[in-house]
Amino acid sequence: MKKNSPLSGACKQYEEDLVLYYYGESSAADGHRVERHLSECLDCRRFVDDLRGLLPQMAKMQELPQTFWDSYYRETVAKLNQRAERNDWWRNLLAPMKTWLVPAFGTAAVVVLALGLLFGRGSSPLFIDGSSADLPEEIIADANQLEFFKSLDMLESLGQIEEQDGGRVNPKSDRSSLSRIERGAA
Amino acid sequence: MVDPQNCRDEELVVLCQQGRSECFEPLVRRYMQKAFHIAFGFTRDTESAKDLSQDAFLRAFSRIKQFDGRSSFYTWFYRILINLCLDHARHNGKVAWQSLDDLSEKSNDQRQLVDDRFRPEQAAIAGEASRRASETLQAMPNKQRTAFLLRNDQGLSIADVAKVMKTTEGTVRVYLHRAVAALRQSLVEFV
Repeated sequence: MKKNSPLSGACKQYEEDLVLYYYGESSAADGHRVERHLSECLDCRRFVDDLRGLLPQMAKMQELPQTFWDSYYRETVAKLNQRAERNDWWRNLLAPMKTWLVPAFGTAAVVVLALGLLFGRGSSPLFIDGSSADLPEEIIADANQLEFFKSLDMLESLGQIEEQDGGRVNPKSDRSSLSRIERGAA
Repeated sequence: MVDPQNCRDEELVVLCQQGRSECFEPLVRRYMQKAFHIAFGFTRDTESAKDLSQDAFLRAFSRIKQFDGRSSFYTWFYRILINLCLDHARHNGKVAWQSLDDLSEKSNDQRQLVDDRFRPEQAAIAGEASRRASETLQAMPNKQRTAFLLRNDQGLSIADVAKVMKTTEGTVRVYLHRAVAALRQSLVEFV
């Protein structure tokens, strides 16, 4: 049973195949199938004949005068030359810059890195924090007793003062001051 | 010394990529008519077609180093041209109407003087058919029109049309069928 589209007259299920057949784009198997169908179907034959009459006319390029093409070619080549000159101008401008661009960028990169190291120390997690957060507990405990070591420093300095005072040193008071400090440190 | 006129497209492209920009000129000579006609198919206006096709050459020239040889030069170039034409169509909406017949009016007049077989009524019918065909083409969706112009007017294979349009061959077949069906429907009385 044939099913026709409103004006085409070709079998609906063959229409696309007929277009491809006209353009020579059918596979061998499809081509044979279409040819078999065409031998039996007058409407589809008419459809292909219509395509043969119509489509080459559509593709036919109207002849334009040679002067048009000469002028077209000249204009296009002139535009291409302008474009090439412009590209060359940029290239010439950039060429001398290339000699100092690389060291300049290298220096800038080093400066940025140095500044980053300098100012990023306090904030960046990349840098090791000097706080006690990651230290073992026993070390922290010892560190808390720094006061003891500070008091020893004080003892030394007191000893120096007493030496400066010469023989006026009272061994009893010396001992008592030492014992006082040691008690305080404990 | 290599004569650029005798080189294949791909050889010319390589020479251009090596900095011999004058080697682009034979490519212009080879494709200018096709490029103009395809742009005219979209714009129906001589000046716009000329500008668009020349722009496509300039763009191809500027990007010649990006051409990697995976497709043929004309496929690559047509893609640039088609994209420009589609952009133009999108920005301009309705296009100005001008037939190529107008451009060759003078040559037709001259032919009429020397060829007594030339009949004005035939020319009128042909002109009307051409006008109707162009209107139908303009009314088509861009993709259908592109597929039709590339296959029918430019003679590209469906595989190449698919490459230019960056779609599948099956999709191109559908576009082509719809375009041809629409054209035949509008021109059935002239066939």
